[in-house]
Amino acid sequence: MDTLHAHLEALFDDLELVIGWETGYEPLRPTPAFLRSREDLSRLVWNPLCAPNLSVYLPGILKDAKETGKKIGVCLKGCDSRSLGALVQEGFVERERLYVVGLPCPGTVDPEALAEARKSSAPVTHVSFRDGLLAITSRDGTEEIELERVLARRCRRCRHPNPLHADVILGDPVPPRRTEPSFSDVDAVEAMSLEERRAYWEEELSRCLRCYACRNACPLCVCRDRCLAESRTPKWTTQRDGVRDKFLFHMIHALHLAGRCTECGECERVCPVGIPVALFKEKMARIALELWDYQAGTDPAATPPLQTFDPSETGI
Amino acid sequence: MSEKNERQLRIVGFLCNWCSYGGADTAGVCRFKQPPLLRIIRIPCTGRMDPLFVVKALAQGADGVLVSGCHPKDCHYAVGNFYARRRLELVKRFLPFVGLDPRRFHYTWVSASEGQRWQEVVTEFSAVIQELGPNPGIGADTPMETAGQAASAFA
Ligand code: SF4
Ligand code: SF4
Repeated sequence: MDTLHAHLEALFDDLELVIGWETGYEPLRPTPAFLRSREDLSRLVWNPLCAPNLSVYLPGILKDAKETGKKIGVCLKGCDSRSLGALVQEGFVERERLYVVGLPCPGTVDPEALAEARKSSAPVTHVSFRDGLLAITSRDGTEEIELERVLARRCRRCRHPNPLHADVILGDPVPPRRTEPSFSDVDAVEAMSLEERRAYWEEELSRCLRCYACRNACPLCVCRDRCLAESRTPKWTTQRDGVRDKFLFHMIHALHLAGRCTECGECERVCPVGIPVALFKEKMARIALELWDYQAGTDPAATPPLQTFDPSETGI
Repeated sequence: MSEKNERQLRIVGFLCNWCSYGGADTAGVCRFKQPPLLRIIRIPCTGRMDPLFVVKALAQGADGVLVSGCHPKDCHYAVGNFYARRRLELVKRFLPFVGLDPRRFHYTWVSASEGQRWQEVVTEFSAVIQELGPNPGIGADTPMETAGQAASAFA
């Protein structure tokens, strides 16, 4: 924390803007912060509640930023840095215009799991984190909760807690929870019969509001307000509120993320009705791994597999 | 089609203009007998195939989707089918995960001179679909888009 402030403080004259997190309407929900003056830096926070993947803002900010010669500073966790890698690969972000502060990540909190783990339900006034323990303070006193107990699903399968493509890494490296890609949640869906799976998705997706939060939070959903899901010509989805149109919207997201998704889990985190939509993309990521031994966002020089081909490929 | 109100099974075929559409034509000119399930949509190249075509057709209850183009290395545009086969293989592997039967989707390569082979491809795939019966699709309670509505979207 202190190192983060001190580091950015020292560099601030060379930065146009710093993107990080600040306390939101409650300490449990840090929100993205866009800091333009030195005094603002004191608002920065960094802890396991800093869930938002800030790379989602980079293409838009770089497009609008004036060329002042100053860089844009951005704080990225391990998974966020893979999103940056994928954006660089596809030419949406010019890496040299950024100053990337990499933050080794102990894992992020699933707010629902945390609410369940807490004994008190009083509003939280302060949060701190040390040695794997979250200290949650409210008027009922301070409770200590193990981070491991309240970890988000995406963090349980994380292989990249330590940021890639960073200019500086602040903090000690974190041992990854996984060394190999883990698809146990995909396996659980695949263990069902075809009919059960159809019923499972129809049931889950029936809750979808088509609020498009999942799309908006996705760093790789770069079409923004030109999304196919809202286009009338061609009209891929209708205004009907049945499951089929919701399903088609999710197929658009999943297929457009094929061979691109970095499994950051933001789509699932932001869903207000708790649909495990990242599973679609995890399946896609697994297919890309099986067919082309490809992991998005790890190598900024690599070409995404669906934007290229190999004439010598056989069997498919 | 024995019972009167039994829904006729339908296969949507996406055929590349340069090879498979010609192959289907050759089969027709040669009067090779083919099962009547297939409805053909001509595309300029399999490189035009958006995997969403496959998913949307199956989600809406098409009983089968067949994609056919020029043999690899024979693409009219040199590389269109190289891009296509990556996308098609990906969607083939993805379908079962979302509850769509991957056996209802087949992609292959048939050249304009292969009328005989076209007959085999259609006959074999039609047999698979006949065996599987009607496709429930996804969200079967949703009213069907009429062909006119669907087509107007691309006008
Ligand atoms: S689809 Fe979901 S997991 Fe994949 S990059 Fe987008 S937000 Fe992250
Ligand atoms: S965030 Fe959830 S409710 Fe909103 S569109 Fe995505 S899946 Fe549907």
